Amino acid sequence: MAQFRLPANSVVKQGKTYAAPPGAKRSKKFVVYRYDPDSEANPRLDTFEVDLDDCGPMVLDALIKIKSEFDPTLAFRRSCREAICGSCAMNINGGNTIACTKKIEDTQGDAVKIYPLPHMSVIKDLVTDFTHFFAQYASVRPWLRTQTPPPPDRERLQSPAERAAFDDNERCILCACCSSSCPSYWWNSDRYLGPAILLLAHRFIADSRDEATGERLDELEDPYKLYRCHTIMNCTATCPKGINPAKAIGKIKELIAARHV
Amino acid sequence: MMALRTPLAGARGLGSAKSGFSHWWMSRVTSIALVPLSLWFVFAVAALGGMDYAAFVAWVRSPLVTALLILSLAVTIYHMMLGLRVIIEDYVRPEALKVTGIIVMNFISILIGALGIIAVLKISLGAGS
Repeated sequence: MAQFRLPANSVVKQGKTYAAPPGAKRSKKFVVYRYDPDSEANPRLDTFEVDLDDCGPMVLDALIKIKSEFDPTLAFRRSCREAICGSCAMNINGGNTIACTKKIEDTQGDAVKIYPLPHMSVIKDLVTDFTHFFAQYASVRPWLRTQTPPPPDRERLQSPAERAAFDDNERCILCACCSSSCPSYWWNSDRYLGPAILLLAHRFIADSRDEATGERLDELEDPYKLYRCHTIMNCTATCPKGINPAKAIGKIKELIAARHV
Repeated sequence: MMALRTPLAGARGLGSAKSGFSHWWMSRVTSIALVPLSLWFVFAVAALGGMDYAAFVAWVRSPLVTALLILSLAVTIYHMMLGLRVIIEDYVRPEALKVTGIIVMNFISILIGALGIIAVLKISLGAGS
C-alpha cells in the first residue's frame, strides 16, 4: 500500500541547537533536517541561530554560513546560486523551492524549516538521490529525432513563432521541485514520469523540427507514465521558475485525444 | 528495481501500454453526461414530495422517466468504476491485491448497477398494481 507513516528508523528526532554568536542583534532560527547514513541514528532536526546582519539575503547564504561557521558536516548541493543549475532544490517552510533565490525575509514564522525534497531517498542531510529521476528523463529520449537530414549548408530552420511554442518548457532546470511535490509521483514514481519529465517530453513534442511526435505520444500513452497525472497542480504552484508543467501535461493529453477523436 | 539493472532499464520498465486514453476520455465524457442527468434526478426526486405510491409508479412508467433513470444509474456506475479504478491503481499494493481489488470492484459495481436497473424495469414494465 501507499506508505503514509514513516518507518521507525526514519522518525525525525530533536537534534542540537547552535546559539547565535554573542552580540548578534537580528538572529533567525534555521531548523535543518539532518541524516547521517554512516550512523545508526534516526534523522534529527538541528536548530541554528544565524545572525542576519552578517549573512547574505537568501536561504542558501544562510546554509553556506551554517556549514562554514557552525557545522561543516552539513551536506547540501549548490552550485550557481542564480537559479540555473537546479542543485539546491529543497523543502523550505513546507514548499519545494531552490534555496538560492528564496529570500530569508520572505519566509514566514520565527524559524525557517529546511527539509530535503519530499519522498526522494535521502543520501545525507539535504542531499537526495536523483538516479531514478534522471533515468526517467533519459527514458523519454530528450533529443531531436528526425528522419530528414539537415540542409547541407545550414542548421535546421525554425521560425521565432515555432521556437516560442516551447519557450516555457525550455526554462526547466530539472531541480525536481515539481515532481517531488506531486502526490501521484510520491505513490507511483516507479512508473509515473512526473511533471518535470512530462514537461520536458512535451518540449520535444512541441519542437517544430522534431519528426517523431507520434512515436513520442505512443511512448507516453500509458495509464502510469502519463495518466497518473490527476491535475493536482502542486507542480505549477511550487515551480521556482514559474513554469506550468500541468499545462504541458494537459497539452500532451490533448494531442493524444486529437489523434483518437 | 533489481540491484543489477541499470537505472534506465528500471525507468523504462515494461514500456508504454499504448492505452489509457479511452479510460481518461470516458471518465470525462461520463462526467459531462452526469451534469444534466444528476440535475434532472435531484429536481425530479425533489418534485416527488407528497406523491402517493400509485402516482410514483405512474411517473416511473413514463418512457422518458424510465430511460433517464436507467441512464442515470448506468452512467453513474460506469463513472464510479472508472474513478475507483484510478484510486485503487494509485494506492493499493502489492500488485496482486491491486489486480484483485480492481476485479472485485468491477464485479460489485456491475452487480449494483444491474440490481438498480432491474428494479426500475420491474416497476416500469411489471404488471403493476
